[in-house]
Amino acid sequence: MNDSEKIFRLVMLTGEILLKNGAEIFRVQETMLIIAQYYKVQEIDIFTISNGIFVTMSVDGKTITSKSKHIPIAPVHLGRIAAVNNLSREIVAGKYEVDEAIAELHKISVMPYSPNSLRIIFAGLGSGSFCYLLGGSAFDSLAALIAGMFLYIFILCLAKTKTPKVLMNVFGSAVVTVISILLYSLGIGDELDHIMIGAIICLVPGVAITTSIRDFFNEDYLAGTIHLVDAILVAASIAVGVGVIFKVWRLLGGI
Amino acid sequence: MLIQVLMAALATVSFSVLFNVPAREYVFCGITGAIGWLFYLITCSMLGSIAFANFIAAIIITVVSRLFAVNRRVPVTIFLIAGIFPLVPGAGIYYTTSHIFNNEVNLAAAKGIETISIAICIAFGIMVVFLIPQKLFMIGKRKGKA
Repeated sequence: MNDSEKIFRLVMLTGEILLKNGAEIFRVQETMLIIAQYYKVQEIDIFTISNGIFVTMSVDGKTITSKSKHIPIAPVHLGRIAAVNNLSREIVAGKYEVDEAIAELHKISVMPYSPNSLRIIFAGLGSGSFCYLLGGSAFDSLAALIAGMFLYIFILCLAKTKTPKVLMNVFGSAVVTVISILLYSLGIGDELDHIMIGAIICLVPGVAITTSIRDFFNEDYLAGTIHLVDAILVAASIAVGVGVIFKVWRLLGGI
Repeated sequence: MLIQVLMAALATVSFSVLFNVPAREYVFCGITGAIGWLFYLITCSMLGSIAFANFIAAIIITVVSRLFAVNRRVPVTIFLIAGIFPLVPGAGIYYTTSHIFNNEVNLAAAKGIETISIAICIAFGIMVVFLIPQKLFMIGKRKGKA
């Protein structure tokens, strides 16, 4: 592999990691451009959408390399974005050879997620505090906390089985509805509606819809559309999961 | 209101854990979220407009995030995504689809429009602050150190 190919790989990998872990479209393009410029790439064209990158570049004016890469929308990992950001700064400061930088990027791309136990606890705390912010009582929050923790355990289990995202959201929200109804029937919590919204807050695509509008404002219309469709699909699958359980519960004689 | 703000901080920290923010930034994410929610509550009670309150809060959160980002040398996204979480209309989009599912078309339309307008207000607030040149935040850094 010659130098220009290595530089191309480095630039491509940087973009991939950033996009996969939830960086904004403009940050992905900007970082790729900065690194390319540092290595004196003569010509580079980058086109990024929410789930793919297309790059054409020519290092020495003769060889032209291009690649399009599909990058599925994945869970957000802001730690990896911070690490890539740091690395790009150090690359530009001249601290890395191309090979070393690629090795470092490979390390970043497998940086671990927060430990599962910690995530379960904080998913619960997040659900509980959100329930309170959205108008729930302290009791509601307690119920949301419990339901939120169960939801996250369930999601973590499902994540291992490669269940499609849509089904994961349908099942997850169904499970959380069952648990909320159970808790409510046991007398924990005052209003089912408040418990529910707190408990499913880990699933709802609030950030996705805001990102989508930001993409539109940045004139990344295609990226914005993809995020919007993703958000609506996720929200719809949650509504299906919750709705079905509620219908069944009403048929069984609940309120 | 104090409890509300503390809860917002807790919610923000929780989601920064779920978004895998580096552990040393948790506290700063929490502060960003709490300040944002405080301004949201104040604007909301003063003007009574949810959309405008979201706009103001988004501006404040983005300013705070950019200050933290410059000072702590990490991408602004970290504080922004975590701090904005209490504001984003996740509940709204869920209610919208849930109304559609229950055949309540009018309610769905109302909720849907509210959700989109909140998202637009937040995005607009963020965009306005990103127009401010980076240099101004560098000044903030020197002041912060003095």
